[in-house]
Amino acid sequence: MGFPYDEAAWSVVDGAMFMGWGTAMPGVYTAIAAAVCAYVLWAGNKSEHKQFDKKK
Amino acid sequence: MEDKIAELMAKVAELEASSGVTNTMFAETYYYLTIPLMIIIHAGFLAYEMGSSRAKNVLSSGVKNILAFAFMIPTFWFFGWWVYWGFPTGLTFSEGAMGISGAEYASAIAWGWGDSAQYMGPNIADNASGVFFGAFALFAATTASIMSGAVIERIQTVGFVILAIVLGSFAWVVAAAWGWHADGWLVTKFGAHDFGAAGLVHAVAGFFALGVLINLGPRIGKFNADGSANHIAGHNMPLTVTGLMLIIVGFWGFLMACVIVPGEAWSWYGDKMSTIYGTPITLSALSFNILMGVAGGIIGAWIWTKDPFWMMSGALAGIISTASGLDIYYPALAFIIAFSAGVILQPCANWLERRGIDDAVGAVTVHGTIGLYGLILLGVFGAGYPALDIPDAPTVSLFGQIVAAVVFFLLGFVPGYVVSFILKQMNMLRVPEHAEVAGMDTTKVPAQGYPEGIVASPAASD
Repeated sequence: MGFPYDEAAWSVVDGAMFMGWGTAMPGVYTAIAAAVCAYVLWAGNKSEHKQFDKKK
Repeated sequence: MEDKIAELMAKVAELEASSGVTNTMFAETYYYLTIPLMIIIHAGFLAYEMGSSRAKNVLSSGVKNILAFAFMIPTFWFFGWWVYWGFPTGLTFSEGAMGISGAEYASAIAWGWGDSAQYMGPNIADNASGVFFGAFALFAATTASIMSGAVIERIQTVGFVILAIVLGSFAWVVAAAWGWHADGWLVTKFGAHDFGAAGLVHAVAGFFALGVLINLGPRIGKFNADGSANHIAGHNMPLTVTGLMLIIVGFWGFLMACVIVPGEAWSWYGDKMSTIYGTPITLSALSFNILMGVAGGIIGAWIWTKDPFWMMSGALAGIISTASGLDIYYPALAFIIAFSAGVILQPCANWLERRGIDDAVGAVTVHGTIGLYGLILLGVFGAGYPALDIPDAPTVSLFGQIVAAVVFFLLGFVPGYVVSFILKQMNMLRVPEHAEVAGMDTTKVPAQGYPEGIVASPAASD
């Protein structure tokens, strides 16, 4: 991934400068981050209900 | 016509001078405001350490923490500031390519005597030195406070202050000179990039603490005869968690102070902010990535632990794991990295505990392990970025980040171990057993944390 411009020099940077700019990676990272949030909510809910059942 | 042109030129000169004054005042105010923001880190460390102590040690933990802060300021003024400017090119103390390093340069601007004293005190022609010194002194105090929490409830006060001075006014400053300076050899030779000091502050402090903990030993009652560990709960978890949140608040000031503002003689650019390496940055970049880092760390720690202490430690780990590349990460990537740091936090702390290390607040893991984790991950994701804004600059690489990680580990661990070993031989490291058992407040603090105990007051009746 690395530097999003052909030449490794800051003089060529005139806008976005984050890793993956100009490739599909920002979208991939966004999808992974969203999936992580959704998974954590699912797993967290499951684990909490397990505790409720245990303390019945 | 000539009169008109002359009048116009005079107006332009007046406007230029006026905008220059505005810029200088902005720059001075910018760094000045980072100082109280970073003092909030210390309010946080104070609350966090006192809350993590048992009631019998609450004030002695506070005394120790406050003293670390107090001693860091003059010692950083005496020699820490000199170390930062004198050491960048290594132990040769020679001048680097940028011309802002080496023993001669440091002696010209960072000594409190001779001609250089003009830059170390009030000077109407110098709006920069004091606020830069202040920001760096607060970096130093933060570094020392990181070690402070790990050693609570059994360390002697003066021995601790000596360790804090070695860490805060020397060890991390050498790391900063080598890896956080445009002439630093880790930057110029290996392309090391550590914008938010994950390695040179957090990892150095975390592994310094580890070196001290090996010689200091665990608190009485921490480990059983079979080597298994007991949890020693602090007396006030809400205070601890609030303290951790205050540290997060203060980190905005810490990271803000890592930015070089434009338009001054010492700036990299006339029109945009830069990192200490002269590479471009915006406060918007920090805003995106710090927030995503905090959130990722909390969520990662929650799914693994469900414990508010580890969740707020996860927030810190989230920032630390992304700190090296806060200037160039994509926010969703920063979130993913921070999430992973939050997940691995408690298992890493447990691993250390199983090896007989009693780190009372998890500082070695949160700052040391996660600091190096973040530093190295930047080498994976950020390889190829120019490390400096100069022609033919070295680029960030996994190898360069690993070299920096090894150097920062050694700069923390070795002085921490050696100085604490010497203090141990001099009987200046650990409090006597009877004092530890009775409680350090009763033994040495002429005040009471809770003179009335913690009693529930009856509700008012109609």
